[in-house]
Amino acid sequence: MRTPSVPTGARSFQGLAAFFWTEALVQLHEELAMATSMVVQVVLLVFVWILNPALIGVALIGSVVFSAFALGQRVLNEAAYVRIDHKATDLYLAGPLSPEGYFLGMAGGILLIYITPVAILGALAVVVAHLSLATGLLLLGLSGLVWMFAASIGYVFSTFFRDNRAIWAYSSLFFNVFGVLPPVFYPLGLFPQALHPIVLLMPPSAAAAILQSAIGVTHLAPGEFSLALLGLVTETVCVLALAIYWARRTVRSK
Amino acid sequence: MSGEALRSVNLRKVYTSRGAPRVEALAGVSMEVRPGERVALLGRNGAGKTTFLKIASTLLRPTSGSIEVFGVDVDATPERARPYIAVVPQEGKPFFHLSPREQVYTYLRARGLSRETAKARTEEAIERMGLREVADRLSITLSGGQRQRTMVATVIATEAPLLFLDEPTIGMDPFARRDVWASLRALTQKGSTILLTTHYLDEADALSHRLYIVERGQVLVSGTAEDLKRSVGGTLKVSMPNGALQIDAFRSFGSCVADGSHLSVIVAPERLAELMDLAIRRHLTATVGPVTLEEAFLRVVGRSIDEDT
Repeated sequence: MRTPSVPTGARSFQGLAAFFWTEALVQLHEELAMATSMVVQVVLLVFVWILNPALIGVALIGSVVFSAFALGQRVLNEAAYVRIDHKATDLYLAGPLSPEGYFLGMAGGILLIYITPVAILGALAVVVAHLSLATGLLLLGLSGLVWMFAASIGYVFSTFFRDNRAIWAYSSLFFNVFGVLPPVFYPLGLFPQALHPIVLLMPPSAAAAILQSAIGVTHLAPGEFSLALLGLVTETVCVLALAIYWARRTVRSK
Repeated sequence: MSGEALRSVNLRKVYTSRGAPRVEALAGVSMEVRPGERVALLGRNGAGKTTFLKIASTLLRPTSGSIEVFGVDVDATPERARPYIAVVPQEGKPFFHLSPREQVYTYLRARGLSRETAKARTEEAIERMGLREVADRLSITLSGGQRQRTMVATVIATEAPLLFLDEPTIGMDPFARRDVWASLRALTQKGSTILLTTHYLDEADALSHRLYIVERGQVLVSGTAEDLKRSVGGTLKVSMPNGALQIDAFRSFGSCVADGSHLSVIVAPERLAELMDLAIRRHLTATVGPVTLEEAFLRVVGRSIDEDT
């Protein structure tokens, strides 16, 4: 009879790479979702182009930031769907795959499959808005933070729901409140001044404002710049840490 | 290290939530499963089987009591217990946008198996579960039974030391069920241990070395299927479709159960002729068969396994 050796236990982040490829494969087979992933961004770009073609560069930068947010937010729907509809979370987490590997692998797998059209938008932004290498790298870095923030908060939120239909409503709410309404596709200066502190604390509009400032479209006072940058970094780090903690904690119900 | 693959002592689970009544799902379950055994956990819906499996598989915290997997405290150090186990969750489904081959292979990779081992085990499990013809079709296009077979294939391919299977053959046709049974037998011959829940008493009878019957969170009885069948007081069951109203006339022969108009009597072989004679005199149609596990369950629990608690 088999006598198992003394267990070493699952290591932190164990299985991340393998689950990354699992999720990428799942997403790769969802052609319809891939085909429709850029609809909102393209529609908003068309709106801006019709209303004020001079702002198309700002809008393209915004579309990259918005896409990063939307890509991260897909984790909310996917994690909830796998847990509630498929009950497959138990299959994966009652084993050596670490909970944080599961969460980050899922987020990364989604990112990998949907990144190509976002990269095309990024290339267009570089060309149309005449971004320097430094600003291009800033766009990449800030978009990465926005993605990480959205993926982390999405995973945490996914654990609170018992019905996927309830998630659709919240998902739409986050999408519009964080991405469409605040100055992501248009300059911060067009948004009421009194509300600037609020939108500068919201990751997508904070990232957009920093980038708009970098290309000279928006003037940020030193305090506003610090608020946007420190706020974005701090929120992302805190939410990522929370998501990893939460992933570990929610493996087991009480 | 403990000699048992699984051992629980006085395990309790009480669900409490605001605005809902307190539910005691497990009321002190003590159980032992030895390495290499196939053990069935039987009970009606709501008896506590899934709760027990969830605690054993590290997904739910007990209220009190202890539970160990190969000597590892599941509640205190779940991360040390997880490498030993694999679970087919109740009503679990594979990823719809993966094929069975992709599902099994990627799952094994996520558990840390090498590419070569994962590939070989995937092909073996696909073959065993009769999924060869649909191995490369997305699961969204498969029938419910084929998806369930994919789930079982995913888990048996791990060859984990301890497998928990919660209703593993639900929705499968009789041939597929037998494929699962054969695979589970082969796994235990290789050294794995299996704890499964099932509503199919023939499955528990055919598959398990031992079984536990739970009712309202407590173990009512445990032992082999044969022990249980013997415990009902006879080896033959006489069924009389319209005999329920005449139950008193048959009580002296053995254990009697009336279910609607139907009466069944457990009887020892030496009194069968006498009982049949009485049935004929009372104009009752009677058929004789061996005592089944279903009969034993009915007598232990007092209700059919298909009735909810």
